[in-house]
Amino acid sequence: MSPEQTSLLQGTLDLLILKSLRAGEMHGLGVSRRIEQLTGGTFVVKPGSLFPALHRMEEEGWISAFWGESENNRRAKYYRLSKAGEKQLEAETRRWSRISLAIGQALEAS
Amino acid sequence: MPLLVKARSFLRNLFFTRRVDADLDQEVRSHLEMLVEEKIRAGMTPAEAQRAARIELGGVEQVKIHVRDSRTGAFLDSLVQDVRFAIRSLCRSAGLTAFVVITLALGIGMTSATFSMVDGLIFRPYPVPHPGNLLTLAGTTHDSMIEDFSYREYLDIRDKTKSYDGVIAYAEMQAVGFSAEPSATPRVKGGVMVSGNFFRVLDVEPRLGRGFREEEDQVPGRDAVVVLGADFWRHEFAGDPGVVGRTVRLNGAPFTVIGVAPDSFPGLLTFGHPDFYMPLAMARTFSTNIERNFFEDRDDRELKVKARLHPGTTLAQARNELSVVAKNFEHDYPNVSRSRGATVYTQFQTRTTEDDNWKFGVIFVILALAVLLVACTNIAGLLLSRARARAREIAVRLALGAGRLRLIRLLLTETLILATLGGLAGIAIGYSVIDWFHSKESIIFLTELPNAIPFQMDNRVLLACVGMALFSAFLCGLAPALQSTRVDLVNALKSADADLPGRKRLWGRNLLVVAQVSMSLMLLTGAFLMARGFEHSLLEGTGFAKDHLLMTTFDPRLIQYNAAQTQQFYKVLAERMREIPGVQGETLTQKVPMDQDEPDGVTFVPDGFTMPPDRVNFSSMMDTVDEGYFQTLGIALLRGRAFLATDTAEAPRVAIVNDHFARHYWPSGDAVGRRIRLDSNTGPLVAIVGVAQTIKYQSISSPIDFIYLPLAQHPVARMVLMLRSSGDPLQLVQPVKDAVHSIDPNLPMLQTRAYEDYYLAEAVRAPQIAVDLVGTMGLVGLLLAIAGLYGLVAYNVSRRTHEIGIRMALGAAGSDVLRMVMGKGIALVAVGTALGLVMGFGLERLMNSMLFDSGGVDVVAYIIVVPTLFLVTMLATYVPARRASRIAPTQALRYE
Repeated sequence: MSPEQTSLLQGTLDLLILKSLRAGEMHGLGVSRRIEQLTGGTFVVKPGSLFPALHRMEEEGWISAFWGESENNRRAKYYRLSKAGEKQLEAETRRWSRISLAIGQALEAS
Repeated sequence: MPLLVKARSFLRNLFFTRRVDADLDQEVRSHLEMLVEEKIRAGMTPAEAQRAARIELGGVEQVKIHVRDSRTGAFLDSLVQDVRFAIRSLCRSAGLTAFVVITLALGIGMTSATFSMVDGLIFRPYPVPHPGNLLTLAGTTHDSMIEDFSYREYLDIRDKTKSYDGVIAYAEMQAVGFSAEPSATPRVKGGVMVSGNFFRVLDVEPRLGRGFREEEDQVPGRDAVVVLGADFWRHEFAGDPGVVGRTVRLNGAPFTVIGVAPDSFPGLLTFGHPDFYMPLAMARTFSTNIERNFFEDRDDRELKVKARLHPGTTLAQARNELSVVAKNFEHDYPNVSRSRGATVYTQFQTRTTEDDNWKFGVIFVILALAVLLVACTNIAGLLLSRARARAREIAVRLALGAGRLRLIRLLLTETLILATLGGLAGIAIGYSVIDWFHSKESIIFLTELPNAIPFQMDNRVLLACVGMALFSAFLCGLAPALQSTRVDLVNALKSADADLPGRKRLWGRNLLVVAQVSMSLMLLTGAFLMARGFEHSLLEGTGFAKDHLLMTTFDPRLIQYNAAQTQQFYKVLAERMREIPGVQGETLTQKVPMDQDEPDGVTFVPDGFTMPPDRVNFSSMMDTVDEGYFQTLGIALLRGRAFLATDTAEAPRVAIVNDHFARHYWPSGDAVGRRIRLDSNTGPLVAIVGVAQTIKYQSISSPIDFIYLPLAQHPVARMVLMLRSSGDPLQLVQPVKDAVHSIDPNLPMLQTRAYEDYYLAEAVRAPQIAVDLVGTMGLVGLLLAIAGLYGLVAYNVSRRTHEIGIRMALGAAGSDVLRMVMGKGIALVAVGTALGLVMGFGLERLMNSMLFDSGGVDVVAYIIVVPTLFLVTMLATYVPARRASRIAPTQALRYE
């Protein structure tokens, strides 16, 4: 993974995870598939980036984790958005819109 | 809130590592299983699904490592790992570890000990609250940048300046007769006369009783009160809290103890802690100069003045204001204040202007730092070879996926541990050196007066140690760490020795050797120059006889003699001495030559001399002596006569000057018969009746102007009696004691000893210690350089054993190999020597400008040092080179 890609993902990964969990609690694979779905397959989040992000966000207090049963009655760790996480999502969303707007404008300018 | 969550996870990660890990393991595994199920559902065979899932996951362990690294406290966690690992690997090579720690300890210990000198002499803040805003107000003249003020001047400065929250004045009284009971024989103690606001302005709260009140400093002689120093109180009064209100005798006069200074305030002097403090208004009891009126004479300048800068006022404003005050002095009192300015100094400026002791400290620190640098380069070299030996281990780690940064961190942790150990040992060495400074063996000071050597391990010195240790760790560790992680993996894994004869890589090591050789050359040169400088200034002859002399000091003020009684006493004393059998000559002098006290100064105007418009007088050092001085000390009179018994107080005033003085002011004519006016052009007229040989007056000093005044015409209370004996001078002690006892049984004899012993202690021991110190540093530097050079060549030989074997198998002779191996060493030594010479010249210039000022280049030092260094380093390369030349080809080819 080249450095540019990492830094791009760094900013967006948190946002995408928070956004996915907005729909309800889910396990790691669920989050990963949800992101693929949300972005139309543009972003494929590998477990090597996903789990560190999930654990980091849990330590930040944006999401909380608990053990539950998967669709196939398998024990799996589930994540759920916390109050702080919702606030963070709003903040990240605002920040992202600002950035994308700015970048868009920059690219349109001749 | 988020902080709390974070703290909780941090603690959880730290203390429940196992549970957190098991949790993570399960999570990743269930993820993998779900992935497999997903793929099977999508139509893959179970085997295909397993494989695809594993590829997508990218390895269970790797994912777990990523998560661990992102956790709060991950840094700490891996640090603990690093430390554990580093300790294990350091223990494996205990010999190397010990060598590195000892080397570092020597470097750091020396630097910390020498830094403690500089710290004590310059940096340590005054022991008062808010020391930063305590400034020194000082007079300036043509010849001196820091001059004391007179009492009148102090009062004017205090009352006419607005920049300060209080202006204090004090004067050190080195010899005050103290007795706790009226009947006891007084002993000499050191006190300080202070202004009434002293303790208030300094914000020092006495631990017992009270400080001075302002009104206790208003009327001369009225308030005989004294505040004791804490140490003195503990020693003399066993810490008795009932001491307040007691009456003690100072110079025979009763004083009431009103308080005891706190332990935190040992006074403002750099050397020595005052035993007690008296108000300035009691100056008559302590006056050193009988002729002067301390309270009225504007040119009786004995007071040091300090002030608290008012918040919001700048140093520049304060300076401007004070220089205006000084201008007014010049205008209002042209006779005594012409061409005198005044300025304000910070603590740093004060300490570096007051005296030159700090320069030794700075030079020592520079040299010690050079030793530390040599030590560091040596260690860096060692670690480099070690890193190379470990190249395969590191290559394996890199191949297994260890991050380069992480490896560098690991290797730096190792050096950090080494530096910590070295730093601790260095602090221990520093402590013991400083202890030695304080111990009896060093005897830097032999006086009976209270003297505190200000060198100690305080926070600043400890901080400097920590800084040096960290700096050394970085210096020693970074290069090897960077280099060893840059190995070519494939090659390193294949061969035992990962070190390919890459040119770039050896460059670093060569640089280290060059640095070592040059640095130790500089150190040795410095040691030599210092030794020769002292030798030069001591052994070229002092110009007087030092043997068979007994000295003892009298101060009749201690028992309340007035000026007339004092004069009478000295007259009788001289007569009695002549009657003692075995006394071949006797004299009284204000100061013995070559001690560590600065001689008194005197200002004068040569009569009939047109003064430059900008100066009112010249100044010179002086001594007060009696008729027998020149004969007893064996100082030749080049022209004119010695003082005579007829030079009484009523006779015309006379003086004798030294040769240097005579040439200075009358380069073409005879000085005898000329006249000078003391003080200024309205002062008393004094005729020069003799010119004496210029002698050494102080240990390291170039020849100076000197004036002798006769005791009868220039009465001084405290005088030293010097007796020339036919045999052992100490045999005269008892007869002298008896004679003094018969004149006045109460008068104490101070510092009674053979002059030669005193001279050795004052003028020889202290410089000798300095020379030894620098010499030791030079030697340590040289040893380190030898070890470094030997290590490099030996390493090269062992690395090239195979190659040398081939060369010899192909017909190279032992001598060819010797030449090849040594050639490299010689080249390095030559470059290092050249560089060291340049640095040595630099150091010599620095030392000349700071200390000896011998001028020119001391060729002998280089003639001795350079070949010695060259030979010794040659030997260091020869030993391993010789080993190389004896390599048996058959063995070498099998070697591997």
